[in-house]
Amino acid sequence: MRAKELSKRLVGTWLVLLLAVSLIATGCPRPVEQVPEPEKAVPVRGGSLVVALPAEPPILDPTASPATAVDAVVYQNVIEGLLRVNREGEILPALATEWHVSPDGRVYTFHLRRGVKFHNGEPFNAQVAKWNIERAKMEGTKNPRPDQFRIIERIDTPDDYTLILTLEEPNALFLRWVAGEGHWGMLPMKGYEKAATEPIGTGPFKFVRWVRGDRVELTRFEGYWNPELPYLDKVTMRFIPDPAAQVAALKAGEVDVVAYLLAPELAVGLMDDERFNVLIGTSTTEVIVATNNKAEPFDCKLVRQAMAHAIDRQALIDMAQFGFGTPMGSHWQPGAPYYVDLTGIHPYNPERARELLAEAGYPDGFETTLQLPYAYAYTVSAGEVVADMLAKVGIDVEISLVDWGFWLERIFFGKEYELTIIGHAASWDIGIYANPDYYFQYDSQEFRDAYAKALKAPTEAERAKWFGRAQEIIARDAVNIFLYSAANITLSKAAVNGLWENYVTPMFDVTEVWWWSEYPRR
Amino acid sequence: MRRYLVKKLLTLLILLFLVSIIVHSVLFILPGDPAHIMLGIDATPETLATLRAELGLDKSPWAQYTEWMGNLLTGRGSQSIHYQVPTHDLILPRLAVTGPLALLAMVLAVAISIPLGTYASCHQNRPGDVGVMFFTQLGLATPAFWLGILLILVFAVHWGVLPAGGFPGWSVDFWGSVKALLLPSFALGIIQASILTRVTRSSMLDVLREDYVRTARAKGLKERIVIYVHALRNALIPVLTILGLQLGQLIAGSIIIENVFFLPGLGRLVFLAVGMRDLPVVRDIVLFMAAAVVIINFIVDLAYGFLDPRIRLE
Repeated sequence: MRAKELSKRLVGTWLVLLLAVSLIATGCPRPVEQVPEPEKAVPVRGGSLVVALPAEPPILDPTASPATAVDAVVYQNVIEGLLRVNREGEILPALATEWHVSPDGRVYTFHLRRGVKFHNGEPFNAQVAKWNIERAKMEGTKNPRPDQFRIIERIDTPDDYTLILTLEEPNALFLRWVAGEGHWGMLPMKGYEKAATEPIGTGPFKFVRWVRGDRVELTRFEGYWNPELPYLDKVTMRFIPDPAAQVAALKAGEVDVVAYLLAPELAVGLMDDERFNVLIGTSTTEVIVATNNKAEPFDCKLVRQAMAHAIDRQALIDMAQFGFGTPMGSHWQPGAPYYVDLTGIHPYNPERARELLAEAGYPDGFETTLQLPYAYAYTVSAGEVVADMLAKVGIDVEISLVDWGFWLERIFFGKEYELTIIGHAASWDIGIYANPDYYFQYDSQEFRDAYAKALKAPTEAERAKWFGRAQEIIARDAVNIFLYSAANITLSKAAVNGLWENYVTPMFDVTEVWWWSEYPRR
Repeated sequence: MRRYLVKKLLTLLILLFLVSIIVHSVLFILPGDPAHIMLGIDATPETLATLRAELGLDKSPWAQYTEWMGNLLTGRGSQSIHYQVPTHDLILPRLAVTGPLALLAMVLAVAISIPLGTYASCHQNRPGDVGVMFFTQLGLATPAFWLGILLILVFAVHWGVLPAGGFPGWSVDFWGSVKALLLPSFALGIIQASILTRVTRSSMLDVLREDYVRTARAKGLKERIVIYVHALRNALIPVLTILGLQLGQLIAGSIIIENVFFLPGLGRLVFLAVGMRDLPVVRDIVLFMAAAVVIINFIVDLAYGFLDPRIRLE
C-alpha cells in the first residue's frame, strides 16, 4: 500500500531527526584547525569579512541620524572626520594631520591632509570641511547634535588646507567630539544628498549595496589616502538581532565576526573552543539604577546612600553578566582619562544601609517599583538581582517590565518613575548631571560649578582635577545606584586579526582587520 | 455566484475599514512617540519639534487618519518614519520572503499530515497510530523558535548542509534562497502538521465508520480506492477549515521564526516597526494582512464547493 510506505518513510525522517538531536547532545568532536603563532604576524592583504551586527541602521548617513547602528556600519569604514580615536581612546589625525589650540582654549587650527579624494572623485579641502560644519549648524539641520557645532562662533579658511574654528568659549570636550562622533563625518558637497541610502566618504571602504533587512556590502577603496590600508577587499555587515542566531551563524561559518554580543552566557560557551576567539574589552556604557531624585523617598539623600550600600556590585556582575563588567562608583568609564576610582565611597554594607534607612525615617523600609525596559535584556537580569539585594535591607521592590517606547515617553521624557535600570552608552556624558530637567531630576549647583570649571580648564591637570571633583560629587550624593561598566564582547573566527577589543566610540572599524594567510579566503 | 462575490467584496471592504480604525486608534493609545524613539535620549526640543512637523505628528489623530486613507485611495501610499522610504518599498520585497515561507510551511504541513493522519486512522490504536500520535503531541508541545534553534544546530552548525539563516535574495541566488527557507518553513510547518495530522485522523475515523465506506468495501473495491477516493475526500472538509484558520497563525509565527533565522520578512519588519512606533508601516502591514486573511478564507469557501458539490455558494 503506497500510503503506508510513504507514512513509514515519514516516520523514518522523524527518527533521523531524533537521532540527530541525540548526536548534538553528545557533541561529536570536530578536527581542530591549527592556529599560527601571533608573534610572527605580518598583516596579509585580501579576503573578505562578514560581520554580524545586532541592529540595522534606519539610514546610512551619520550626520542625519542619532542611531549608533549607523555609526557602527559607516563611521571610519566609509565616512571619516577631521580626527579619529585609537583603541585606547587617544585622539589621532585623520583628515586633519595636525591641530593646534590657542592658549585661551578658543581657537582650534586644523591642518588638513593633502590629496584626499571622496569615493566619487570630489576633492576634500578646507571649503568642504567648512561647508559640512555650516550644514550641521544651520536652522532645521538634521544633524543629531547641532549643539556641538553651534558653539563654533567663526569658521576661517585662510587657504585650501587650513581650517580655523573659533569657539564661543573654551570646551574641554570639543576635540573628543570632533574625533569620536560620527555626526562630525565629512560628506562631499555634491554627493551628499543621497547619503541616507548611498553614503559617500573618504574612508577605506566604498559603499556597494544595502539589502534592507539583511546586509550592507562594502568594498575596498583603491584611492584611500593611506596606501597601506585597508587589508580586506570586501566587508559585509549582516544584521542579526538575536544573540543565539548570531552565534549559530558564526558556528555554521556564515559570519566571521559577531560584534557587540549582548548575551554573555553565549561567550562563555565559546571560550574553550579553539576555532573561535572571544574578545572581552571595555565599553563606554555605564549601567545604573536611575533614580528619580524628586520622588519620595528618593528625594532624601540618606535613602539613596542606603541603596548604594545595599548592592554587592561584583556579585551582581557575576550573577547577571557572567562576570563580564567592571564595578563602578560614579558615572565615569573605569580606565578612561580623568577616571577616579570611587567604588569605596558606598561599599557593599547591608548593615550600614539599614542604619541609613532608619536614620532617614524608614526603619521598616518601604515599597517601590523598578521599571525595566525589556528590549535590553541586561536590564532585566540586573534588575532581578538588584530587587533581591534591596529586599535584604527592607526595600520591597516590585519589578515592572516596560516597552522601549513607553520607557522613553513616560520615564525618560515624562519623568514618571521611581527607579529604572538603563545603560548610558554615550562617552563623556557626565554633563547630563548638570541638567536639573534630566530624568534623574538631580539639582546641584556644586556639581554644575565643578563641571563648568572642568570644561573651561586650560590644562590637563586642571581638567583632571575638576572632572574628578564632578565624579566625586555625584558619587557622594548617590544620585543613582552606579552598578557597572559593561564589557564589550566580540566573537570571531580564530583566523581573524586586528579587531578592536574596546568599545571606545560608536563604530565598528574594520580598517586594520586581516586574515591569517594559511586560511582559505572567502 | 455574482451575488456571492459582491457580498464577499462588501464584507472585505467593511472589515478593512474597521481594521484601519482599530489599528490607528491602538497605535495612538499606545504610549511611545516615534520622534522620541528616532532621536533617542540626546534629542533637543528643537530637533524634536522639527522632526514632528516633518513627520506630520503634530496633526490631530483624525487628520492623520484621513491623510492615510487619502494617500491609500489615491495610490500615493505613506512614508516610513524609521526608514524614510515609501512603505510599499519596504513591504513588497519582504512579502517575497514571508509569502513563500508561509506557503512552503503550509505545503510541508499538508504533505506530512495527510498521509500520516490517514495512516494513523487506518491503524487505529495499533503501534503505528500510537507512534504518530506521540510525535504529533511532541510537535504540538515544541515551541517553533526552539525547534528553529535545534534545526540550525543540526543542519547548519553540525552538518553544514543548510544555511543557519539570512536570505540572499531571489534575483541574486535562487537556489540559495530556496535553501534559506527550508529550515524556517519546517520549523514553522511542524506545529501546523501536528494539528492537521490529528484533525485528519479523527475526521477519517468518522468517515471510515460511514455506511458508504462499508458499501464500497462490500462491492469489492481495493482498499486504496476506498480510502483515497471515498473516505479521504470526504474527510478533508474539516481539515480545510483548520487550514484556512492556520494561515493567520502562520503569519503570526513568522514574526518569531524570522527573528530566529534573521530573514528579512514581513514578520521581522512589523516587529521592528511596532518597537520603533513606525505607525505608517504597522498600519499598512496590518491592513494588508487583514485583507490577506479574508481573501484566503474566501478561497477556502470556494474549495469547499470543489470538495463537496453539495455545498452551494449562496
